[in-house]
Amino acid sequence: MTQPRPSGGAAAVTRRPLLEVDHLVMHYRTKAGEVSAVDDVTFTLHEGEALGLVGESGCGKTSVAMSLLRLLPDNAEYKSGEIRLEGVDLLSLSEEQMRRRRWSDISMVFQGAMNAWNPVYKVGDQIKEAMDMHFEPRLSDDEADERIAQLFRLVGLPPEMAGRYPHEFSGGMRQRAVIAMALACDPKIIIADEPTTALDVIVQDQILEELKKIQRELGMSIIYISHDIAVIAEVTDTMGVMYAGKLVEFGPTVDIFGNPKHPYTYLLLSSTPSVTGPRRRLAPLEGEPPNLLNPPSGCRFHPRCPFATERCAVAEPPPEDIGGGHLVACYHWEQVPEFGGLTR
Amino acid sequence: MTRYVARRLVQMAFLFLVFLTATWFLLYALPGDIVAQKYATNPNIPPEARRLAMERLGLDKPMLVQFRDYMVNFFTLDFGYSFNQYPRPVVDIIKERLPRTIVLFLTAVITYYWAGFAAGKYLAWRRGKRGEMAITVGGVALYTVFYPWFALIMLWLFASQLKLLPLGKFLDPDKWRNAPYPANDVFLRMFWLTLITSVVVFGIHLLARRIKDRTPRRLVAWAGTVAAVVAFLGYWWVGREGAVMRPYAADIAYHLILPVLTLTLVNFAGIMLLTRTSMLETMREDFILTARAKGLPEHMVRDRHAARTALLPVTTSLVLAVATVIDGGIITETVFSWPGMGEVLVSSVTLGDIPLAIASFSFIGVMALVGHFLVDLLYGILDPRIRVTAHG
Amino acid sequence: MTDTSERTDQLEGQTLAEIGADESIELAEQAQRRQSLWAIRWILFRRSLRHNWALFWENRIGRFGLGIIAFFAVLAVMPTIFFATGYWNPAIYDPVTGLEPNPPVQRFTVVNEITDPATQIDFTRVLLDNRIPNDVLPGDVVEIPLQPAPPDSRHWLGTDPLGRDVMSQLMHGARAAFFLGMLAAVVTVVIATIVGSVSAYFGGAIDAFFMRLADLLIMIPALAVLIVIGAIFEFQLWHLAVVIGILSGFGGTAIVLKSQALAVKVKPYIDAARVAGGSNTHIIVSHVIPNVMPLSFLYMMFTVTGAIQSEATLSFLGLLNVRTSWGLMLQLANNQGYLLQGLQYWWLLFPAGVAVTLLAMAFFLVGRAMDEVVNPRLRKR
Repeated sequence: MTQPRPSGGAAAVTRRPLLEVDHLVMHYRTKAGEVSAVDDVTFTLHEGEALGLVGESGCGKTSVAMSLLRLLPDNAEYKSGEIRLEGVDLLSLSEEQMRRRRWSDISMVFQGAMNAWNPVYKVGDQIKEAMDMHFEPRLSDDEADERIAQLFRLVGLPPEMAGRYPHEFSGGMRQRAVIAMALACDPKIIIADEPTTALDVIVQDQILEELKKIQRELGMSIIYISHDIAVIAEVTDTMGVMYAGKLVEFGPTVDIFGNPKHPYTYLLLSSTPSVTGPRRRLAPLEGEPPNLLNPPSGCRFHPRCPFATERCAVAEPPPEDIGGGHLVACYHWEQVPEFGGLTR
Repeated sequence: MTRYVARRLVQMAFLFLVFLTATWFLLYALPGDIVAQKYATNPNIPPEARRLAMERLGLDKPMLVQFRDYMVNFFTLDFGYSFNQYPRPVVDIIKERLPRTIVLFLTAVITYYWAGFAAGKYLAWRRGKRGEMAITVGGVALYTVFYPWFALIMLWLFASQLKLLPLGKFLDPDKWRNAPYPANDVFLRMFWLTLITSVVVFGIHLLARRIKDRTPRRLVAWAGTVAAVVAFLGYWWVGREGAVMRPYAADIAYHLILPVLTLTLVNFAGIMLLTRTSMLETMREDFILTARAKGLPEHMVRDRHAARTALLPVTTSLVLAVATVIDGGIITETVFSWPGMGEVLVSSVTLGDIPLAIASFSFIGVMALVGHFLVDLLYGILDPRIRVTAHG
Repeated sequence: MTDTSERTDQLEGQTLAEIGADESIELAEQAQRRQSLWAIRWILFRRSLRHNWALFWENRIGRFGLGIIAFFAVLAVMPTIFFATGYWNPAIYDPVTGLEPNPPVQRFTVVNEITDPATQIDFTRVLLDNRIPNDVLPGDVVEIPLQPAPPDSRHWLGTDPLGRDVMSQLMHGARAAFFLGMLAAVVTVVIATIVGSVSAYFGGAIDAFFMRLADLLIMIPALAVLIVIGAIFEFQLWHLAVVIGILSGFGGTAIVLKSQALAVKVKPYIDAARVAGGSNTHIIVSHVIPNVMPLSFLYMMFTVTGAIQSEATLSFLGLLNVRTSWGLMLQLANNQGYLLQGLQYWWLLFPAGVAVTLLAMAFFLVGRAMDEVVNPRLRKR
């Protein structure tokens, strides 16, 4: 399950761009000061593409995801940048306009499906609620029930389960239902935030297969958010690696797994064991992620980086295209050795 | 659901028996018997008369027989005669007073539960804004206020200063001098009609839930409610007896306002604070984020998701509050001279009217148990997790 | 060896997650050096106390409540000082038997028909009033001692209808409230801790019995029970405290403490103690109860609130045999019809009522603040 998918990556580049995140900067205001949670993040999601964002917890990947829906907590502040969905800047929309776009344009598969359902309503009714909001004209009850039944069949649930309450579902079933709900309004993009983290391994695999199958069948665009690099490897065409609010490496998944060029990605991959590959020493990632209240100067990774020089502490490395849409934000990417860990 | 109800019913029945037994032991443990208290201090009564009295009251029988008699009498509703209103049977007094207390309670509980919930919901939603500490302290002050004193202040303010509302009591005797009906008849008519109307409205809503499509469902629910209310008002304005009774009924209702208001205010704060806490906890749940992500407008997120779920712990607290509300009711009735069970209990106890005291105490216990049972049912209806587990 | 590990386990249990594991191990080493487990317990207790106190002190609401309690505590102590220093003469200031010998007087002209109620008095009323000599005739001027009298320099809160000092009654009332509240709380907590720990630890029939009993006590309106008991027995203050303690100790508090004890029961150090051969009594006394204690302390606060209010209400209804209490002050004023006259007799209406409310509220607020300390779930979000 740690093999990256060989197909897809190259094909995706030629597709039409759907979502462009352009130099997004987002801060949280706290009592202790401003937390720079997302700093100058730029990436593009193409139609029908599966994009992954990976990084340690607190690196800002969930903040990016929530920014796309504009569902950040009250103390969040967009400093600059744009999020363009088919050319329209979401950040410039009014709250009401944005509300209409949620779920119909971008929907979400939440982490911990356990709590994504309100315990007091039937699962079908909670899906219906989303459809009522976004279908013009509103579907009749029969049409809505029919659609929910279809969605349930699509995600591999018996349609009659729609009349049950969330607590009657097992963890995996609940997550399938969450996927069904995410599909309810034919969104252009689905964000899957740690879609499998709370599940046991076998169910994890089933859910990922399900998502892959649905994406293929419906030609959806999906953004996967995970701390689990194996999940990203399995399901995405393109991926980005985030560190301390920065996107440090971005490119086709195959390229990044085969040839990681940012020292952080390199160390992250080296610290992940491979089940199928050869035995190798795991290199632990030393040190702690930085405090974003007061991030390190220059490259945010330099205090933990084995290749860091004085320059790294002073200036911030811009993302550099090293070929094939593979972007690396590091002055010393050429010094990063060949990686032979995961794919063999 | 049926099994859940059945289980609760059996539990209640058991607890009620325990309660009756405990009450009996409490009375059995009376320091000296009633006869001794009534007769011993009077040297003119010969010991022979005392013995006869003991016999007639059954106090010479063995403990177990006395216990059996007590139980049999209780379930045949034979509580003897009131000492102070002799020869009126106790059961008559209870029959007259019980509906008055129930009306006071139901009105107050429904009002404070609803108002407290609405206020708590609003407070939680505007959390972090100014005046939070003041609201908390104010709420706690209202919750812990010395209740009889507060009731007196309300009485003084609304009745004696502003002269808006009557100074306690059940009715205004001046207005009733030539009344064609006894007060209790009018009151019972009010009681039953309101009860029937509420049950009908509730039934219509239950039925409407079975209708599949949204538009007719809402139409039936609304039309049914309006029809029931119109029928209720129609009785009082157009009905032959109703039109005659109306001014008298209005007088009773007018006397009901202040006690209900006071009882509501005191209990309201507790529900408000609890709702606020419960809402704040619910609002951190993931399903609130889901609801927002689904593009629901804020008021729907608040009302349909946060508030509906926050209602559960608030209802649990109502289970514990039943006893407190009844305590509050006893004080309310005493201060406002509202002739209900609580007022009977206090006056019979202070006047030493033992049979009446015992019966009213037992019935207050019954009321508490029934109140519990109803709140349990409500909780079962609100929380699908209970509803369904009981199925399996 | 077994001994050491058991000690470490116990220590971890008592730190209640407030003190890091490293620290407990270090302390365990110290314990071995000193050969005294109790010394360590004491150190840990002090530490967690200091830590919890700091948490509590951050809470404005808790500080506010504590301030009110302190204020009333000072009030409760003052009469002792005043009587001891001779500042107050018991003949005048005693809350029950004291009497103001020279109350302010108001002059009235005795008339047959009143035209000005402020300066005239009805002749028939003069004859019925035993404060006035009977030999007056219409046209005479009489001096009527004013009782209750408004506050002046000698009586800071005026006097009551019987000419007694309200301030002194208020202070003695505070004393009664503290005595009652504390006694009721201690009885409650002792009973509830034992019942809760025992039912959680043994389970089965014992548990079922105590929990059904608790269910019943929760359901039955306590005031109704107290009214009936108060009518049957001669009720004194400490009787009431004990009865309230029993009702609440076997009732709701027992349920809460039992659930806490259940959480403690499954902790590894209980198993460790059992494996090490600790008897049931030993485990309950030295492992379960100490860990239930913080929560017991919290429920003491809520019991005090309830006890103060119950006492005031029973006194107000005249069902309690007490010397002085806030409820009694209100009862007298109410029975003589002064309360419904509102602000005119404010010194009868407000002091006692506000005192009951404030002190009950203060304990409740402290309880709430402590709740946030004991339940991390409730801490500032």
